[in-house]
Amino acid sequence: MKKVIVISGLVFLACSSLFAQKYICKDGNVHLLSKTAMLTIDGKNNKASSILDSKTGDLVVQLQVRGFKFPEALLEEHFNENYMQSGTFPKADFKGKIANIATVNFAKDGEYPIDIVGKLTIHGETRDIKKKGKLVIKGGKVEGTSAMNISLANYKVKIEESYKDRIDDNVALTMDLKYELYQAK
Amino acid sequence: MNKYLKIFLIVFGVGLTLGLCGVYYVFHMPHRNLADEKPSIVTSAKGLFDDFSKDETIGNKKYGNKAIQVSGKVVDIKVTDKDATIVLADETSGVTCSFDSATVVDHKAEFQKIKVGYATSVRGQCDGLDMIQGVMLSRSVLVQ
Repeated sequence: MKKVIVISGLVFLACSSLFAQKYICKDGNVHLLSKTAMLTIDGKNNKASSILDSKTGDLVVQLQVRGFKFPEALLEEHFNENYMQSGTFPKADFKGKIANIATVNFAKDGEYPIDIVGKLTIHGETRDIKKKGKLVIKGGKVEGTSAMNISLANYKVKIEESYKDRIDDNVALTMDLKYELYQAK
Repeated sequence: MNKYLKIFLIVFGVGLTLGLCGVYYVFHMPHRNLADEKPSIVTSAKGLFDDFSKDETIGNKKYGNKAIQVSGKVVDIKVTDKDATIVLADETSGVTCSFDSATVVDHKAEFQKIKVGYATSVRGQCDGLDMIQGVMLSRSVLVQ
């Protein structure tokens, strides 16, 4: 009997991994914007990576903090050294799920609202988040977008008192991730 | 006008102009130019990836934010009007080098010559290890 259970378990695992479809994104765009009357911080990272499992809804997004590029060199230097401390915390990532993945039909073109739930790590601090997003399926291609606001203080990014009028604690993050079906070579 | 007041105004005016120029320069100083920078470390794409995969923290300390020059075989190249990406050594366990639009525009002919399978050298700022793309270099330049 034990043997039967083990064999059926193995068969189930083999089948589920056979049908599990993973989508990957390598050139994901993540844009951060913080605006005050005195200073606009406008950074773009177009090398974010992501893996999406269309069966389980598991979602991972990862980027290198130094990959954020700014129009001003000075701002980029301060962003990395004084605020994000990218030497100590080189990555930011999200690990979680699309909670309502069952409502997304990957075989049918359309726009599907998604609920993103999981842990966001920025500046070495991990917080639970629950945000809305959208998956657009078009001709077999998958594009995921989401917009959210985060508080710098919540992730222990310190703004000096004298800069508080220039740097808003509230930062708008927008993501645009274009996925391709992953095929092992 | 009082002679001293005149001198004071001239000195003040010159000082203010210089100060404003200084502030303007600091805010608009150019981005890091890897083409003019001597590489901190010269290595192979595989060697760079191996160092990071052995210990990412040590990899970041050794290479992070530095100008790294890597050589390797091109496994993927993507050039658009906006930017370019060259992957060296291996698609998932190699080095992904990204190039800014200005670099692509200035060296269009050189980018057109690069094909998958060719050996090439790239210098770029090391941003860290990515879960899919391997070691990431940004603001890259082609090394002749």
